[in-house]
Amino acid sequence: MKNTSSRRSFLAAGLVLPATAMASTTRSTLIEPQVPKSSAPKAGGLSYRVLGKTGMKVTSVGFGCMITSDQSVVEKAADLGITYFDTARGYQQGNNERMVGAALKSKRNSITLSSKTGAQTKQEALAHLDKSLTELGTDHLDIWYLHGKGKASDLTDELIDAQAQARKAGKIRFAGVSMHGGHADVIPAMIAKKDHFDVVLASYNFSMEPSVTPLLESAAKAGLGIVAMKVMAGGFRRTKAGDKLYETLKREGAMLAALKWVLKNSNVHTTIPSMTDMEQLDENLKAMTVPFGSGDEKVLAAQLEYIRPLYCRSCGQCTGVCPSGLPVSDMLRFLSYAEGYGEYSLAREQFLDLPAKVQQVRCNLCPTCTINCPNGVRVAERLSRAQEIFA
Amino acid sequence: MKGPLILIALIAVNGVAGAQTPDCSGVAGWQQQGPVREYGPDNLFDYMDGNAEGYLIYRFVNMKGVTCKKGDDTILIDFHEMADPEYAYGLFCTNRDVRLPNEAIGMGGQVLPRRAVFAKGKYYIELAASPDKDHTAALRGFVATIEKRIEGRATPPDAIGWFPKDRLVPNSVRLIPESVLGLRILKHGYVGQYDFGKVFLVPEESAEAAAQVMAKFRERIGQSVPAKIADDAFTGTDKYLDGLCVFRKDRYIGGFANLKGGRDASAEAAALASSIK
Repeated sequence: MKNTSSRRSFLAAGLVLPATAMASTTRSTLIEPQVPKSSAPKAGGLSYRVLGKTGMKVTSVGFGCMITSDQSVVEKAADLGITYFDTARGYQQGNNERMVGAALKSKRNSITLSSKTGAQTKQEALAHLDKSLTELGTDHLDIWYLHGKGKASDLTDELIDAQAQARKAGKIRFAGVSMHGGHADVIPAMIAKKDHFDVVLASYNFSMEPSVTPLLESAAKAGLGIVAMKVMAGGFRRTKAGDKLYETLKREGAMLAALKWVLKNSNVHTTIPSMTDMEQLDENLKAMTVPFGSGDEKVLAAQLEYIRPLYCRSCGQCTGVCPSGLPVSDMLRFLSYAEGYGEYSLAREQFLDLPAKVQQVRCNLCPTCTINCPNGVRVAERLSRAQEIFA
Repeated sequence: MKGPLILIALIAVNGVAGAQTPDCSGVAGWQQQGPVREYGPDNLFDYMDGNAEGYLIYRFVNMKGVTCKKGDDTILIDFHEMADPEYAYGLFCTNRDVRLPNEAIGMGGQVLPRRAVFAKGKYYIELAASPDKDHTAALRGFVATIEKRIEGRATPPDAIGWFPKDRLVPNSVRLIPESVLGLRILKHGYVGQYDFGKVFLVPEESAEAAAQVMAKFRERIGQSVPAKIADDAFTGTDKYLDGLCVFRKDRYIGGFANLKGGRDASAEAAALASSIK
C-alpha cells in the first residue's frame, strides 16, 4: 500500500486517447508502431527477441503473473516455452511470489524471472529483495524493477544504490524500472543513467498517446530492454454485459488483437499480459504466430469507440454555454489530468484556482445539460465526476 | 452473478453496511492528516499502481481511506467496499499472510507489527503503519473500533465450513474470482489445499448449468472414469492438474485435483459432497 496517491494510473496507461486516436474509429485511429521485418512472427512456433543490452533472449509474449491464482497456468506457460515471467513483492502481499516460485521451481534455469519493489528507501528495498528471493525460491532475480515510478525524481540515488548493491552481491542480474505513466519523464532519466539501468517495464498499448512510441524507440536505441505491460489496455476487462460493444470486445480474439498490436513494435522486446486461465494462455500464444490484420484493427477501433465517451480531447468544439458559468472544457481537461495522466494533484490545484462560486456548482442538480460534445463525450456525467473528485 | 449470492444468502439476514468512511478518532491521540482518499474502479490505479487489478477482480466497488498521524507515526486506513461479503472475504484471503493464523476479527483478520487486514460485511479493511517498528498496539486499537462500526457478516462464507478438516492445510481455502484451477469453464469458486492435493468447489446458477459445465469438464479431460459420488462424478488425469476426482451435487461442482501417484480421493470428495448444504 502506498502512503500517497500515486501519480500514475492504469487509465493513463490504457485509456488516455490522443486527439488523433479519438478523431474517429476508422483505420487511421490506431497509432501504428513501426513494423520491422525482424520481428515478424514465425509461423507455428514461438518468437524470440533479445532484451536489449541484457542479451537475454526472451519470448515476445511473456507472462504477467499478478492476478494468476492457479500455478498450473504458470507451469503450463513454462512448458509451452514462454521464457519471461514477472511478479512483484506487492502482488497479493507476497503470496503471488510464493505461487510463482512454486510453479517455476523446476524451470528456474531456463526462464527469465523478474520481480519488483515499491520501497522508498535503500534499506527497505534490499529487505524486499531478500524476501522476494526467499518467496520465489531462488538465489537471484534476472531483473529487479523499481516498481511504479511515475517521475524522474522517483529514481532516487538510494534506490539506484540498492540496485547496484544487489547486483554486486549477485542477487540480481539486471536493474529496471516499471512505470504506468510518466514515460516522458522517466524514460529519458533512465537513458541518462543507462550505465546503471538495463530494462524499461512500461505500460504500452494501442490507446496510448503517440509520443510513447518514440520514447520506447529512444530507450531501445540506448540499449535498454523494453518490456510492455498493460498491453490489453484494460478496457476489455472493464466492459460489462449490456454495454453497447460488450459482445465485440469480449469475443474471442479481442485481447489478442491488442497484444498483436504491441508486438508490431520491434522496440518492444517482450510483453507481460495477465493470464488467469489456460484458455487465455493458449490465445495469447497465437500473438507470436499470427500477424496483426485488418480484423484486429476493427476490434481495436471498437475498443476506442467504447472508451471515447469518457475522454475529452480538448478540441474546443463543445457547443452551448453552461448557465452556471462552468468552464466546461477546462473542467474536462482537469479530469483528463487526473484520470488520464494520473496527475490528480495538478488537476485539483487547477480546479481550486477556479472562482469559489464555480467550484460549488453541482451538475447533478441541473435537470439537463446544455453542453454538447461533437465527439460524443458525455459532458454532464464527466463534469459530475470532476466535481465528485475535486470539490 | 446469481450463484455466489445464493451461496451467501445468510448475509442478507445479517444486514449490509452502509457506505463507510474511515477516520482517526477511534484511538486517542491520532489526528487525521489531509482529506479522505476516495477511489473507484476507474481510478484505483491512481492509488496503487500495478496492484489495482488484484483488487478489481474481487469486484471492488470503491475505496475510502485516511492517513492518521501521531507524532512521527503514521497509519493509513483504507476501507475497500466490495460487491458483497463473499468477495471481501476473498480479497482478505488473497492478501493475508497464509503462514499465520486468522484471528476472529470480522469474517477473519490478521494484525501484524506494521499491517492489519480484515474483512467484515462487504468491506475489506487494510491498515498500514510506518515507520518500521512494532505498531501492533495502535493497529489493534483501530481494528477494534473499526470492527465495531462496520455492520454485516462477521463469519466466513458458509462454504468455508464445508471442506472436511482432516488433512486440510489451515487457512488454505480461499475464493478464486475467476478461472478456478486455471480453467475458464470453472468461473469462480473456492480452492483449498490438502496434504495430498487441491480441493475445489464451484457454484453454478442451477443444477442444469452445473451439469453442462460437468460435461465440458469431462470433454476437456478426455478419458475419464465414472465414479459414484453425489449426482454425477468422474475421475481422470490431466497434464497440469494431475489426478482428478470431480463430482456434481445439485448446482455445485467440486472435487480434488493435483492428486499424485494415482491417489484416490473418492472418500474425501464424497465427504465434501455430503457436507454441502
